[in-house]
Amino acid sequence: MAEQEAVDEDIKDLRERFLNREFDEVTFEIDGSRFAEYAKVCGETAPKFTDPSHPDFQAPPTFVSTLVGGRNTPPDFPNLGGMGMDAGKGVEWKAPVRDGATLTGRSHLHDIYTKTGRSGRMVFLVTRMELFDQEGTHIANADTRTVIRERPRG
Amino acid sequence: MADTTVKTIAEVEFGGELPTFAPDTSIEATRRFGKHVGWNTPRFTDHEGARKEGLPGAIVPGVMSQGFLGAMIHRWAPDAEIVAIDTVFRAPVQVDHPHTITGVVTDIDEDEGTVEIDITITNEAGENRVFGTATAKLPT
Amino acid sequence: MILDLHTHSIKSDDGRAKVQNYCQWIRTRNVPIDGFVLTEHRQFDFESDYGELAERHDLVILKGSEVETEYGHVLVFGVTEPLYDAFDFTSIGLPLEAVIEHCDAHGALAVPCHPGRPRVGMSAHLAEHGVPEGVRIVEIYNGGSRGGEDAVAAKMAEELGYLGIGGSDSHIVSHIGRCATEFPDPVTTEAELVQALKAGRFEAIPRQH
Repeated sequence: MAEQEAVDEDIKDLRERFLNREFDEVTFEIDGSRFAEYAKVCGETAPKFTDPSHPDFQAPPTFVSTLVGGRNTPPDFPNLGGMGMDAGKGVEWKAPVRDGATLTGRSHLHDIYTKTGRSGRMVFLVTRMELFDQEGTHIANADTRTVIRERPRG
Repeated sequence: MADTTVKTIAEVEFGGELPTFAPDTSIEATRRFGKHVGWNTPRFTDHEGARKEGLPGAIVPGVMSQGFLGAMIHRWAPDAEIVAIDTVFRAPVQVDHPHTITGVVTDIDEDEGTVEIDITITNEAGENRVFGTATAKLPT
Repeated sequence: MILDLHTHSIKSDDGRAKVQNYCQWIRTRNVPIDGFVLTEHRQFDFESDYGELAERHDLVILKGSEVETEYGHVLVFGVTEPLYDAFDFTSIGLPLEAVIEHCDAHGALAVPCHPGRPRVGMSAHLAEHGVPEGVRIVEIYNGGSRGGEDAVAAKMAEELGYLGIGGSDSHIVSHIGRCATEFPDPVTTEAELVQALKAGRFEAIPRQH
């Protein structure tokens, strides 16, 4: 038991050091043709998502997940020794993303937690990118849950 | 199984089923996604390349699966605004394998004008590969 | 009566279902169960009181836990404050035999769940750790099972002489009741549940929908 408690101490330490600390800022120039293709391939049929000439042309809400994919952890975040896999995604939508918009995405680690795996711990990292438009309006949050299967210790 | 669309929250019933949606999981679709959106790597666009990575074949990118779920909701309620969607990837969605997406209404908040929906992507064997929940705002 | 012995609500990190929506769903969709046990991951929910909700929907709502051991995940039924103080429910590497001993000492019961599942199921760890002492019941039907996982679980249970229960392992509302367990006698409290399980008076029900 003592060993397990000691192991979990490292997660507590990671949470204290890294949670809610912004580590990345990226600018995106939104191209309507890209999100229209995204909409069509995903099966959207509403013209407001697929037709650039539609007066309310906008990206499907889940499109913001495609903007995430660069850095998922802070540059000084330790290498946990396993391969990261995409465990899930979440979007909180607040306002439409339009063709030609310039968005700023600011990322932080929103949660770090663990579960057991066959050959060691699985560490879950929830990276949240908060997206803002040119006026600074918060338009969406895009969460990515990454699971890292640690290699056995010793 | 429902086969109609809804316009307002008054038309939505607790426990009601959304029309079942069969997403395009073909290799042509993931290649088109790769070309225009991203994730243009063998894991998603080439069965042989994916097998070299230890996968049983190419898989659908998670962001694309998430897009399927949003499309399903819009096909059911064209005027719905999806205000939150949360997706859990339990197992890969395999390219060129037929999948079915089912959705059901699990909560209605008439004051807020929102509904909650459970969504599940199932393969031919009936296994849940992806599941999620969404909150959508509908006109009152 | 029929209970789903393995469910998660929003109290679990990966649960997305509100308990009130489980109740509403069961009644609206005529899910053939009389109640369910909330087995939140690595915790026991002492705070929530679902009595009024249970009464309103005429359902039995009980509470348990799903803890994590070197043999994978394990349901714990009959959790009390003394049991909760006896070991660290939040740990992800509990020794299964110690969990079973603590449960025995406090009138509770430990039941390995989805034992046919890679990584988090008991059968995947037998070669490394051997057959653990004290297991009497395992979950042989799990609503989230894929491929032959339930078959592996049932085979293991048969070979090792374990009894089997069923539970949906639901994390979203619409998955509740997919598997369950039938009891010939009324089960309305956690203590009655443990008693019925220890007496072997139950039968697992495979996936229904």
